[in-house]
Amino acid sequence: MTLTTTPNEERGTQMRAPARRRSTLRIWKKRLMPWLFISPFIILFMVFTLFPLLFSIYLSFQEWNPVAGLSSMEYVGLYNYQLALTDPWLWKSLYNTVWLAVVSGIPQHLLAIPVAYMLVSAVRGRLRHLYTATMFIPFITSTVAVALIFFSIYSTNAGILNQWLLALSNLPVLSWFFSWVQDAMPIRWLTSSDLLKPSIAMVVIWKYTGFNIVVYSAGFLTVSRDLYDAAKVDGCSRWQQFWHVALPMIRPFIFFAVTLTIIGNLQLFEEPYVLTQGESGGVAQSGLTASYYLYLVGWQWLEMGAAAAISWILFLFIAIATGVHFYFNGRKGLGEDR
Amino acid sequence: MKKYLLAGLATAALMGASAQAGDLRFDGFPDFDSHLEVLIPQFQESHPDINITYQMNQHADHHRRLTTNLATGSGAGDVVVVDVSFVGSFINAGGFENLSAPEYGADLMQENFVSYAWDQGKGTDGNQYAIPVDIGPGVMYYRRDIAESVGSSIEDVIKSWDSYIEYGRKLKEKDVYLIADAAEVAQLIIYTTVKEGEGFYFDEDGKPLVTSDRFVHAFTVAKQIREEGLDAQVRAWTNEWYDGFKNGTVATQLSGAWLLGHLQNWMAPETAGLWGVSNLPDGIYGSWGGSFLAIPKQAKNKKDAWEFIKYLTSTPEAQLAGLKNIGSFPVLTETYSDASFDEPLEFLAGQKARKLFAEVAQKVPAVAPRQGDLIADDIVLRAALLEVLNDGKDIEAALRDAERLIKRRVK
Amino acid sequence: MKALMKRLPKISMHAFLIVSVLITIFPFVWVAMMGTHSRSEIFSSPPPFYFGSRLLENYEKLLDIMPFWLVLGNSLMVSIIGTAVTVLFCSMCAYGFFAYEFRGKNVVFGVMVASMMVPPVLTLIPFFLTVKFLGLLDTHAAIWLPLAANAMGIFLIRQYMVTSISRDLLDAAKVDGASDFRTYWTVVLPLIKPALATLGIVTFIALWNNFLLPLIVISSPDKYVLTLALRSLQSVANTPWGAVMLGTFLSMIPLLVAFLFFSKQMMAGLTAGAVKG
Repeated sequence: MTLTTTPNEERGTQMRAPARRRSTLRIWKKRLMPWLFISPFIILFMVFTLFPLLFSIYLSFQEWNPVAGLSSMEYVGLYNYQLALTDPWLWKSLYNTVWLAVVSGIPQHLLAIPVAYMLVSAVRGRLRHLYTATMFIPFITSTVAVALIFFSIYSTNAGILNQWLLALSNLPVLSWFFSWVQDAMPIRWLTSSDLLKPSIAMVVIWKYTGFNIVVYSAGFLTVSRDLYDAAKVDGCSRWQQFWHVALPMIRPFIFFAVTLTIIGNLQLFEEPYVLTQGESGGVAQSGLTASYYLYLVGWQWLEMGAAAAISWILFLFIAIATGVHFYFNGRKGLGEDR
Repeated sequence: MKKYLLAGLATAALMGASAQAGDLRFDGFPDFDSHLEVLIPQFQESHPDINITYQMNQHADHHRRLTTNLATGSGAGDVVVVDVSFVGSFINAGGFENLSAPEYGADLMQENFVSYAWDQGKGTDGNQYAIPVDIGPGVMYYRRDIAESVGSSIEDVIKSWDSYIEYGRKLKEKDVYLIADAAEVAQLIIYTTVKEGEGFYFDEDGKPLVTSDRFVHAFTVAKQIREEGLDAQVRAWTNEWYDGFKNGTVATQLSGAWLLGHLQNWMAPETAGLWGVSNLPDGIYGSWGGSFLAIPKQAKNKKDAWEFIKYLTSTPEAQLAGLKNIGSFPVLTETYSDASFDEPLEFLAGQKARKLFAEVAQKVPAVAPRQGDLIADDIVLRAALLEVLNDGKDIEAALRDAERLIKRRVK
Repeated sequence: MKALMKRLPKISMHAFLIVSVLITIFPFVWVAMMGTHSRSEIFSSPPPFYFGSRLLENYEKLLDIMPFWLVLGNSLMVSIIGTAVTVLFCSMCAYGFFAYEFRGKNVVFGVMVASMMVPPVLTLIPFFLTVKFLGLLDTHAAIWLPLAANAMGIFLIRQYMVTSISRDLLDAAKVDGASDFRTYWTVVLPLIKPALATLGIVTFIALWNNFLLPLIVISSPDKYVLTLALRSLQSVANTPWGAVMLGTFLSMIPLLVAFLFFSKQMMAGLTAGAVKG
């Protein structure tokens, strides 16, 4: 994304130089064209996004109990930021957020990329449809159903997960491998501080991998058959085709999906919220993410100003993470080397 | 022709306007819908010109929506339900009509209501902002068959927390748990043994009380139950919780009067006749849940809203209908002499439990809610208590940390 | 034996895919099963993992407690209109970012990416004020319009254009005398069908499952959308779970149909991909 005009355009304007009046019109039209195309974003952004943004910046310098109405705001300067930055729960929640972002983020892509490649390169027609559609199901399941289902799975005594682990430890062959299970029972997936985060991460991976598979499938589909054929002629193995031909081609998709995961995971809210039944982030706040915390402060404790300050601290955090990602991967990821 | 048309239009406009004046919206959460479905037609018999619609949302969603409406000064219904956990922070913020004002005159109704519930709807300025509509007097549900099998009389069990725990030890030998979750005991002690003039978490000057004896005692009792393995470590409203009731693996449950209906209807219908209710252990009186009705200042039809609130809260027939329809316990003391309170309840082996509920309701001490209660609730009951019970954190340390957190947040 | 060895990769691949499918289809099947049980059956433990006999009962209950088909129609309307507009707007914007170099492009693109990073929990109240100011309270447009040109969609399509459309192609179109809009409409759009389909399905789902916006903007029961209606039935103690789960299951079916529809469009990429390479 450089600001120079392409040689093509310059040539175009020179050629039409004699007819001056018409050409200024054309130049204006040319200049306006890109803005015309991006106008939906600009207009909707101005209308629906800008005001809420400015409002929440303003809010972060106020003390405000929303129930008391707009007129009850009280200017407190940087107090909210000071309070937030010295708040042990905020730091705990930021740690949880990063932990969950990494542990639930990376496996999504490590699973989705090869699966998408398998589906596109080796599975045909109806079957591929069927596989992709099923893998997409977790993504379309409503949060309420997800909560209900995983409560049953993680349930301590009668939960499927513990039942299966017990069954595995009783099998003749596997019993050695699963011998720890007997001592660890009953495993409290959702009510012990060590296991809550991994349990949440499993749900997140389960839910969003399918989405990434779809994005990567769309990516692999852009790679033309000719490329593979050429690679085959050169004697490339299947693995080499994947590594040297397909993967570099879908780099913009990886870049996109990773950006989305970074931003989405750092804003993680619903899964930890429902899995802790909204109880302040579970035991020892081990499931309290930053978004969850700012929800708690703003909507439960009714301190909107303090919540706004937390949200801007979180924003900064996400911006830094995304910035680093753009800095290292952006040139290739945005396709500017093409 | 044209004239007629105009006249027609004018009448239509007039009618439209008058219909508008009689329109009323009720915002709440389920099961209020089942209740209203029955009561609106009854109300309209005496108020045929008032047209009532209602909008239900899930409990947390309802309060989030209401918060948005109060914040922006628009979009709220004419009558709104406020749950007891939110009532303290909502009514003191100035978004609701002062019902003590002469045009409403709520104070005249006071003597008919259960006093603790009435006081919860009172703002710190002494005015009434919300009228209680249902309450949940607290009792102990217990399995009669289990108590018999270990030869304990329930009167002895509830004498003190020590005798309650002693009962738990006897049950443990038979592989039965005393209670589903020890945390509930701590919460109960904190809520019900508040000294005169104190709030739940703060004293009169707004100083946090969380390191006081009340909290240490509450945490200690709960911790003892947990450490001796007397509780099932099962959270409320989960499959395993229901299972404990069905299979008789849990012997007692401390809860509000409304739990009875749920036990009977769907949680453990097959255990009819095996249950009993008693006072709470250690001679305390407490309550679980409760809802209030209020009129937002932004409401368009306040006059009719007040009529409807009066109907729902202060007419015995509406209050008794609530008990019948959705098992919500009446706030109106005069209903307690109704014949239905003398009915022996089959599910409780013929016990006349409603008498007990009514007696408890009138003895629950009034504690005025304060601004920081919601924050303290989260920090003490959901954070510190779980750290002590589940992670083995030291009680004193947990409460000290909690106090520090509360002081930071609540000025 | 040798033949088997040769087929081993294929067999193990399918085994892996089938296991993944089992894990992911599990909730769908389970929700379906729960829709055929009564509440006490659902909450017995272990929960029943088979089909029960209360399907009809639950269906009657569902119709009794909410105007299910009306609400489903509302959801369909919101999702279909919203998806169509979103795909159009996002592809236009993406084309603007992809095909042109202009002053301020980096700034706008940066603002766009940054707008994704603002935690949405907090902007609800000012958003409500905006919607009220525009007079859109209690309209369906307030649900789909705000995100009709969203950063994620624009970003996704731009990335797809980068991989699948070559500059030469755009130049060729220009030489042929095609106008900018014509190039976008007749040359570019057909080539990025898979991306449009991907965005289509994601948008459709997001609109279908969104409940926060409907919660605060919609107030007439006849304008409720499915998520809101299903959620509004839940109380701590007294949710008719059998009916709610049946409703949840029924509400997933249009999503699956939509997915299959869009997924077909995605496969069109096979031919489109040949353009570049």
